[in-house]
Amino acid sequence: MNLEKVVFGFFVLLAATLNFGFFIGDIDNPELHNPYELFAAVVVNLIATVLKFGDRTQIGAVHLATSLVADLQLIGAALMFGYATYVSTAGMNEAWTASVVSLSGGALLANIVSVVLLVVETVSFHRG
Amino acid sequence: MSNPLLTFWKNIFGQDADERRIRRATFRVAAHSAAEASATVFLILRRMRVPLIVLIVIFSVSVLGLTLIPGQDAEGDPMRMGFFDAFYVMSYTATTIGFGEIPYPFTYNQRMWVTISIYLTVVGWAYAIGSLLALLQDRAFRSALALQHFSRKVARLREPFLLIAGYGRTGELLGHSFDALGRRFVVLDRDNERIDGLELDSYHADVPGLTADARDPGHLAVAGLGHTCCEAVVALTDDEEANLAIVMAAALLRPDLPVIARVTSRTIAERMQAFGSPSTVNPFDRFGDHLRLALRAPASYQLLTWLESGPGAALPERGAPPRSGRWIVCGYGRLGRELTNDLRAEGLEVTVIESGSPDVENADVLVGDGSDPWVLAQADLDRAVGLVAGTDNDTTNLSLVAAARRSNPDLFLAARQNRAASAPLFAAMEIDALLVPTEVVAHEVYAQLSTPLLWRFLREMPAMGDDWAAHIVDRLRGLCGIKLQSLWKVRLTPEEAPAAEWWLTAGDAPLGDLLRNPENRDEPLHAIVLLVMRGREVTLAPDDGFVLQPGDELLVAGWAAARRALDTALLVPGVLEYLVTGARVPSSWIWRRLKPAARPTRRPDAVPGRRA
Repeated sequence: MNLEKVVFGFFVLLAATLNFGFFIGDIDNPELHNPYELFAAVVVNLIATVLKFGDRTQIGAVHLATSLVADLQLIGAALMFGYATYVSTAGMNEAWTASVVSLSGGALLANIVSVVLLVVETVSFHRG
Repeated sequence: MSNPLLTFWKNIFGQDADERRIRRATFRVAAHSAAEASATVFLILRRMRVPLIVLIVIFSVSVLGLTLIPGQDAEGDPMRMGFFDAFYVMSYTATTIGFGEIPYPFTYNQRMWVTISIYLTVVGWAYAIGSLLALLQDRAFRSALALQHFSRKVARLREPFLLIAGYGRTGELLGHSFDALGRRFVVLDRDNERIDGLELDSYHADVPGLTADARDPGHLAVAGLGHTCCEAVVALTDDEEANLAIVMAAALLRPDLPVIARVTSRTIAERMQAFGSPSTVNPFDRFGDHLRLALRAPASYQLLTWLESGPGAALPERGAPPRSGRWIVCGYGRLGRELTNDLRAEGLEVTVIESGSPDVENADVLVGDGSDPWVLAQADLDRAVGLVAGTDNDTTNLSLVAAARRSNPDLFLAARQNRAASAPLFAAMEIDALLVPTEVVAHEVYAQLSTPLLWRFLREMPAMGDDWAAHIVDRLRGLCGIKLQSLWKVRLTPEEAPAAEWWLTAGDAPLGDLLRNPENRDEPLHAIVLLVMRGREVTLAPDDGFVLQPGDELLVAGWAAARRALDTALLVPGVLEYLVTGARVPSSWIWRRLKPAARPTRRPDAVPGRRA
């Protein structure tokens, strides 16, 4: 067992699951989308991205690309969340919630690709 | 090949299979070297993982804590900080900016947490920044960056360039001569200081330089060995083995490129000849040849050294080495051996002074240190005519020259200067023939590469005799003064001299007509044609009546203004007609229409009956 692989797999999966947890629920109902979960998703995604630095293989490059996409979308979602809460006079209404959640949905897609890559990599690994 | 489809087919698939194989090979070698550089960058990224993750974790824990800990607003009602406020506070706290307690004064709970996070975040931030800066200072990382920067610069070169491997004193001299000609070059050297010095040398063009071992074919490939614009490779390192390795790499990866290498031993020169036919320059051998030429034909030697020195060089003095008598050669190393053989081939007596026990055949040998006054006295300086101070120690050479001059002021003195720093001392000694190996090599390489015509001229010139050479030197000095002006090549092909085609094809094109001033044809152009090459035949210093033909190549010496004037005559329609006939021909379309009578009848496209 390789500890590095465990940590790597853990963070990639956790990023996807947290993202999914935030995304699930009615898209325009702010009560179903916990901001702490979005925060956790952003942090875990950033860690997963850094873990993918410095891999020279082709699959490593695609891994990094998917993570960067997920980061971009999640940070976008967090920024919109902040704007809605602090700046916008409307506050966190249905329209803003829908925008934030749909952005995180995009990130979820990238995270799913990342998980698929992880599975593909594992399955195609031959011993000996 | 009139069918365009067939031409297209040939362009794509008709390439020589051999050439493609070579291209692939160089590409692979370069790719390998580039991959090594990118590997270092990946390693750096990998090393940044831990600091970055530590920073992210510390930040997220602090921010999360701040949002969870209850606080109160201005009215004292309980409230919690939002993520944005918490992130904002942590960002300025971690970076030690510290704007204060925003948006409301903190409660004690919050202050306790912020105290902990200050220490955590400042340490995490310092750790991440520190690691990043340490990595930027990392030697491997910097050299990888330099390699990438260099290979990008070389790959972007779109004009012919020279690959100089080994940028010592010789490389620098050669580089300056080529830069003066407006040619580009790329430099490889093992010494970091030499490459850093490139930026201090005031070159007109940007010179890409890399600190790398030129023995590695990968470095040569990155420096443009596989580049289509690379026109020649010059191996000038002070290591014979390294030069051999460069010649080998160039011959195997790019057999079509000319290669010039500096050698000092015959063995290495012969080993190099096994790879294609590189041109080897042996400074000692060349100095011997020059000395022989100087003995036989002082004016030819003077012309040779002047032209080899490149644009801007001052006219060297014409020495008069003694043609008969006894010479003394101090130091029987590589130079001593060559000179002894050369002098003996000229029928001169030679006495050799050497501290070891040299195996000299049929010659006078004095065993002893030449700088020892007693030994020098034994050599009977009073009855000698020349002395060569050819040891590899500048101090010894200088003291030999001084001692010899004191005992016999009429001696012809030749000396070898080993280090550039000794140049002022040797200059102050006013030595009759000074050998500076680095300069000999640089001049020789310059003569071979600047234009093939100059090289041809220098090789053919000694055969014309001393009086002829003296005449050419006088003409050049009358034209340029004591500083050599530019030397350039003119090709009378339809591409490079479109305006002269009608004149050349008419069959009556004397050279004298071309060398007139386009402003006033009665004035001569300030230029001399040194050589005309037709096919493989050459004519040296043709006179004004020499009839030019299409395809001739000319080597011209003269002022830069003359070069522009000559270019005008060959490129702009109508100028040459004025030079030949004296009639000003209108050059614009309207004036041509208005004044058709002014057209010369010699022009082939002029129809005599067409007059408006």
